[in-house]
Amino acid sequence: MKDTISIRQVGVLMILCIFANKILLLPSLMYETSKADSLWIILFLFAIDLLVLTLIFKLKTIYPTTKLYDILQNKIGKVLTKIIYLILLVFFMFKALLVFSVTYVYFKHQIYKQDLIWIALISCLPVINHAVMCGVRGFSRTMELFIGIVLTGFIACLAFSLFTPISMPYFFVNQGKDLLTSCYRHLFSFGDYIFLLLIIDKIEFKRGDFKRIYKYAFSGIILTLLLFFLFYSKYQVTAFMHNNALADLLVFSVEFNAVGRLDIIAMLTILFITLFQLEIFCYGFYESIRGIFPLLKKFYATITFDIIFGLLYYIFIGKFEIMVAFASHYLPILAIVVNYAFPILILIIYLIDMRKVKKNRENVYISQDEISKSNQNTNLSSDESNVALSNQDQASSEHGDKQKENSLSEKASTLNNQSGLKGGEYEIKD
Amino acid sequence: MKSKIKYFTTHPMILILVIILIFFTPLALFSPGENKERGIVIAVGIDKTTEYEVSLLTFIPTANQSYKEQTSLISGKGQSLGEAIYNAQIAMGRRIGLAHAKTTVVSESMLEDDICKSIDYISRIASLPENTVFISTDKSAKELLQANDSLVSKTGLKLEQVINYNAENLYISDTSLEAFYKGYFGRTHSSIIGSLKLKESPSSQGGNSSGESGTQGGGESSSGSSGSGAQASSSGSAKMEIENNGDAILLKNGKMVAKLDVDMLNGMNILNPRSKHQIINIEDIEKDDQLVNMGYRVADKKVIINTKFENGYPLFVAELILSVDLVEIEGVKEGLKVNTEFSNVTNEVATKIEHKVKQQFTKSLNLIRECKADVMGINDTFHRNNRKEYEKYIRDNGGVDEFLNNVIFKLNILVQPD
Repeated sequence: MKDTISIRQVGVLMILCIFANKILLLPSLMYETSKADSLWIILFLFAIDLLVLTLIFKLKTIYPTTKLYDILQNKIGKVLTKIIYLILLVFFMFKALLVFSVTYVYFKHQIYKQDLIWIALISCLPVINHAVMCGVRGFSRTMELFIGIVLTGFIACLAFSLFTPISMPYFFVNQGKDLLTSCYRHLFSFGDYIFLLLIIDKIEFKRGDFKRIYKYAFSGIILTLLLFFLFYSKYQVTAFMHNNALADLLVFSVEFNAVGRLDIIAMLTILFITLFQLEIFCYGFYESIRGIFPLLKKFYATITFDIIFGLLYYIFIGKFEIMVAFASHYLPILAIVVNYAFPILILIIYLIDMRKVKKNRENVYISQDEISKSNQNTNLSSDESNVALSNQDQASSEHGDKQKENSLSEKASTLNNQSGLKGGEYEIKD
Repeated sequence: MKSKIKYFTTHPMILILVIILIFFTPLALFSPGENKERGIVIAVGIDKTTEYEVSLLTFIPTANQSYKEQTSLISGKGQSLGEAIYNAQIAMGRRIGLAHAKTTVVSESMLEDDICKSIDYISRIASLPENTVFISTDKSAKELLQANDSLVSKTGLKLEQVINYNAENLYISDTSLEAFYKGYFGRTHSSIIGSLKLKESPSSQGGNSSGESGTQGGGESSSGSSGSGAQASSSGSAKMEIENNGDAILLKNGKMVAKLDVDMLNGMNILNPRSKHQIINIEDIEKDDQLVNMGYRVADKKVIINTKFENGYPLFVAELILSVDLVEIEGVKEGLKVNTEFSNVTNEVATKIEHKVKQQFTKSLNLIRECKADVMGINDTFHRNNRKEYEKYIRDNGGVDEFLNNVIFKLNILVQPD
C-alpha cells in the first residue's frame, strides 16, 4: 500500500500537534509565571512554529521524495545524523510521556479517584501500537475520520464557557524577565511540527498546497489561542488553580447547576486528542529509532517504545509533580535543540541547496542562450539542443533527487522550445 | 485451522481486542455498583469547635414512589479536616464522592480564621467542585444541613436555590466557591459569601424535639483523641428552620470582617447596573395636602463611570440614571395603591430618592473603607482605566488597602419615571 498522506491528512496531524500538551495543564502553569500575558508568549512561540512549518514545506519542494535521514546523511554525515535521530527519539518519548501523564492525572481525578495505571496502559498502548503498525497513512485516515468529532467537542467546550460571566483579563502586568522565564519553561510544549520533518517523504505536496497548510495551521492556532483567552477571561486570578483548562471551561457557575454536568464532552474530546497525539509521538519515536537502527522491524520498534514508555512511566508513577517540574526545568534544553537548533540546521541545508538550485538555473539560462546562438550559427536541430540542455542540467544537479531534477529540466526545456519562453522562465509542474 | 491461526496472527488487533474483552468484561460484570462503593455527597458542612467536624449530606439512590430524595446526614470529627473527612467516610462505609456537592456550608466560627486554608484542602485534594455554592451560617453547619430536609419538604426549595436567588437579586455576584477564591486571590483579597440563619422551629419549641436521633457509626478516630469519631444521623430529625434574610458576610483575607444586611448590600450594588428591583422608601411626601410615605421600585438603571487622577488624587465620578416605579403609598387615608397616573417623579420625590440612595451608598462605602475590603471593585476600575497613575499611587500611598480611603467620590443621580 502506498504509504503517503494527503494535505488534508497533514492538516489534521498539524491541528493535533498544535493541541499537544497545551489544552489541559499548560494554561494554568503559564499563568503562574506570566499571568494573562502568557497569550503573547504562545503567540510568539506559535509564530516561530509557523516559520518552522514554512521551512519544512520549502525543504519539501527541493526534496519531494527524499527521506529526512538521506537528506541529513548527504549533508552532515552518518554519525551526526544518528545523533540527531537519537535526540529526536528522546524528544518524542518525553512528549508522549508528558501527554499521557497530564491526561491520566485528569482522568484519575475526574473519574477513577485512584491509581489505575495498568488499566490506562492496557487500554492505550495496544491501540497506539496498532496505529504505528498500520503506518502513517492508516492512522492519519483514522484521525481524518474523527477530527470532526474532536473539533466539535473542542468548540463546544469553548462555546459553553460563554454562558458564564467572563471579563477581559489584565494584560501587560509582567516584566520582561517573567515573560522570558515563562517562555523558556514551556518551550517543550511547542515545536511539535518537527514530526512532519520525519515524514517529509510521505507527504503528497504540490506548490499550491501552501495555502491549505496555513489554513489548517491557523485553525489550530486560533482554537488554542481562544482556549487560553477564554480560560483566562473566565478564571482570571484563580486560573492557576485549574489544571484542566479545556474541561474547566465547561464547569458552570451556580446559575447553571440545574443543567447538570457536561464534563463528558470535554472527556471524550480529551480522550480522542490524547490518543491521536500519542499515536503521532509513538510514530515519531518509531521513525527515529528506525533512523538509528535501520534494520529494526516495525514490530520490535513499537515493543521498544512500550518497554521504555512503561519503565519511564514507572519511575514517574505517583510523581506527577516531578514529571511537570522535569518538563519545565530540563526538557526546555531538549526543546531548544529540537525546536530551534535543528530547524536552523535545516534552514542552512535549505539555503545551501537553494543557492545551488539558483546557480543551476543561471547555468541553464547561460547554456540556453549559448544553445540558441549556436543553433542560429550551426543550424542545430531542436532535438539536439534539448539533449544538450538536459545534459547541462544533469551535470549541474548534484543535490538530492537527481532524477527528479533531471526530468524537470527536460520538461522545462521541452516547454521552452514549445512555448518560445526565454531561458529560465519555465514553470515546474509535478 | 491453520488458516484461522494465520488470520489472527496477521490481524493482531483482533487478538488484542479479544484479550481486552477477556480482561475487562469480568471486571465490569462482577464489580459492585459504583453507588455501593461511593457515597454521593450533595452538601458539605464544616464546623470547628475544639476540633473539626465535617458533615456530609449524602444522597442514597433508592427506589420509591415519591419524588423525594432520600438523604442522610453523616458526620465525622477530627483534629484536622482530612481526619474528619476520613472519619465521615468510615461512618458512611463508602468512599466519599464530592463531585456532586452543590452546597458547602461553614459555620461563622470557621470564619474567625482564614477559611481558605481549610476549604482549600477539600477543594483541591478531595475534589470539591469550585461551582459549589459557598455559604456560612450563624449556628453550626451540621444543623443547617439537618434543616435542609425540612426546607425541601416545606417549600420544595433546596439550599442552593435559596442562595441563588440571593445571589441574583441581592449580592449581584456569584456565591460559588470559585467567586470566593476570585475575591480571595484578587487585588484586595476581599469577597462576599451568602449567609443563612437558623432559628428554632415553632413545633420544636414545645418540647417536641424529634431531632438528634443520631446513630453511632463508623469508628473511633485513628488519633484516638477524645470526642473524635464519626456519627451518622437521619436527615428527618431537623428541629431548626432556615431563615433567609438575604444577609451576607464580608471577608477580608478569608476572615469575616462584617455582616451585611440587605440595605448594606443594596448600597454596595448601587453602581452595579445588574442590580435592580430594590425598593426605595421615602417619607413625608406631600400629596393632596397630607404627608404620605412612598415606596419606589428601581425598574432600570444606567451607570456611567469615569475615573481619573486630579491633582494627584483619585477621582471616581459616577453618573447614575435611575428609572423608578411607584409601587406603594402609605398615608393616613390610603393603603397599598399603585397609581400609574401618579408615577411621574416630582422634584421633591427625586431629591428624596437621590438623598436616600446617596445615604445608602455612603453607609456601605464607609463600612468597606473601615474593613479595607473593596468588594465594589473600585481598585480594579482604577487599575483598568488609569493603570500607570494607579500603580504609582498605591506604591507611594500605602498600598491597595489604603487606596479606597483616598478616593474622592462624585455621585450624580438622575431620577426619572420608568
